[in-house]
Amino acid sequence: MTDAATVRDVAALARLAISDQDMENTTAEFNQTLALFDALSSAETTNVAPMINPLDSAQRLRIDRIETLVDRAGLMQNAPASEEDYFLVPRVLD
Amino acid sequence: MTGPFETICSLAKELDAGRISSRELVEDAIARTETLNPDLNAVIAMNKPGALAAADQADKARADGANSPLLGVPLLHKDIFCTRGVRTSCASKMLTDFVPPYDATVVKKLHDAGMVSFGKCNMDEFAMGSSNETSFFGAVKNPWDLNRVPGGSSGGSAAAVAAGLAPLATGTDTGGSIRQPAALCGITGLKPTYGRVSRYGMIAFASSMDQAGPMARTAEDCALVLNAMAGHDPLDSTCADISVPDYSAGLEQSIEGLRVGIPKEFFSSHLNDGVAATVSAAIKELEAAGAVIVDVSLPSTDLGVSTYYVIAPAEASANLSRYDGVRYGYRCDSPSDLQDLYLRSRTEGFGEEVKRRILIGTFTLSAASYDQYFMKAQQVRRLIAEEYQSVLKDVDVIVGPSAPNTAFVLNDGSKSITDMYMEDLFTIGANLAGLPAISVPAGLVDGLPVGMQLIGSRFGEAQLLNIAHQFQIRTDWHSLTPDLEDLTG
Repeated sequence: MTDAATVRDVAALARLAISDQDMENTTAEFNQTLALFDALSSAETTNVAPMINPLDSAQRLRIDRIETLVDRAGLMQNAPASEEDYFLVPRVLD
Repeated sequence: MTGPFETICSLAKELDAGRISSRELVEDAIARTETLNPDLNAVIAMNKPGALAAADQADKARADGANSPLLGVPLLHKDIFCTRGVRTSCASKMLTDFVPPYDATVVKKLHDAGMVSFGKCNMDEFAMGSSNETSFFGAVKNPWDLNRVPGGSSGGSAAAVAAGLAPLATGTDTGGSIRQPAALCGITGLKPTYGRVSRYGMIAFASSMDQAGPMARTAEDCALVLNAMAGHDPLDSTCADISVPDYSAGLEQSIEGLRVGIPKEFFSSHLNDGVAATVSAAIKELEAAGAVIVDVSLPSTDLGVSTYYVIAPAEASANLSRYDGVRYGYRCDSPSDLQDLYLRSRTEGFGEEVKRRILIGTFTLSAASYDQYFMKAQQVRRLIAEEYQSVLKDVDVIVGPSAPNTAFVLNDGSKSITDMYMEDLFTIGANLAGLPAISVPAGLVDGLPVGMQLIGSRFGEAQLLNIAHQFQIRTDWHSLTPDLEDLTG
């Protein structure tokens, strides 16, 4: 069982806010999902290597060469706030 | 004159013979979509001028001697694929205004093959769901019964093909998101082997399982489309550099002597009786065609759901951390500082199911839980994959139901979150093991479609498509269409 304080900590890590009103329900759902995971403990996995890629293949790397796939203007057009070639965010340093 | 439920193969013949033009086909598809979509909500973006211009180009190319079977055929893309200049939202408030400056490789390949995209399909938000009820743009309705879900996450794609809006829609499948909606809407949907189709430009959910595939009326059409979709892409480092066979060329092989494995765990208490009887009858058809039926066991099937719902949200929590309100996507109003910008943009921009999965994923990846949940799930994933590999040494294909139930009613309050996750029970294994799998229409229960799932060996799409095609030669379940007369007037 996980308590509301842990769920609040996890939400902070995930940069998500949970209102006090929603916390009880969120914690209940969280525990309901964790209960589903309990079945995993029944599996014998001693000396079983974790499977990260279903084909167990290594990532193929391209030659380290500069290529322009998408131009800067195309990328910047979706920025919520920008100035010249920069993304704008609230001031970080005073 | 062609009807709305023609296959791609049939349309290609009509186009080739000059009996219809691409412009007429695309105009018909757009008109039908405009008529039916207010009830179905399967399509959430249209690109009418671009589609008509592309159709005219296809007609000109054909007049100039071009002869690709896909040339001039209309399609819809799931709104998870980036389309240059056309909004790509992933059915999320987070990306409501996102207009990609580039095309996904799947989009580019089908465009290069001459297909004409006229819109984008609704889906579960960020592909997280099995009912298409989590979309920011509202639920999609199943054309067979507008009070029921079409399945998910590629529910808009499945509903669109089932309703005859387009002969093809693209889909993606992380835990069954092509096969389950294909089953619930009575169409054919193929999830290729992990790495068979490029993921470049496909908005990421769980990167070790996401895979794109075709959703169409028949296996023959899926083969034709997979010929164009598949292949190595240097822009996706997990895309396999393995040659692509001609999937259409291998469809006419006999299935005499084919060894078909039936896992007893797929016919468990989780399976609806009507679905079980329908799939069993479909398996008899394979037997009548000469296949040898073999009882097999996949003992870790029940662990698949737990394994998947640890791994997929963990990968999602990492992938979706990019949505921070800075470079693209939703940004909250008047953030007080940078942390407030992150927090409120994400809290306001994501829907409930997406936030639920990010939370779980963040938890299982945290230092205190990593070994107990994430590492353990990765180990169980290997056990599950090895069970599939072992069974597939003895049989050519594994066959069972695509989904435990037929389409359920919308807003079914009796289903808990974990009940909903159990809808993926039979499809998840192929994603965890990276195997190809296809769902084909196998019958009706109470007027609702049932899908039979075929799971093959890695890169064994040609054999799967061959078996599915042979089944469709002997049955006509794939030819059934929903009655939409009330909607079309």
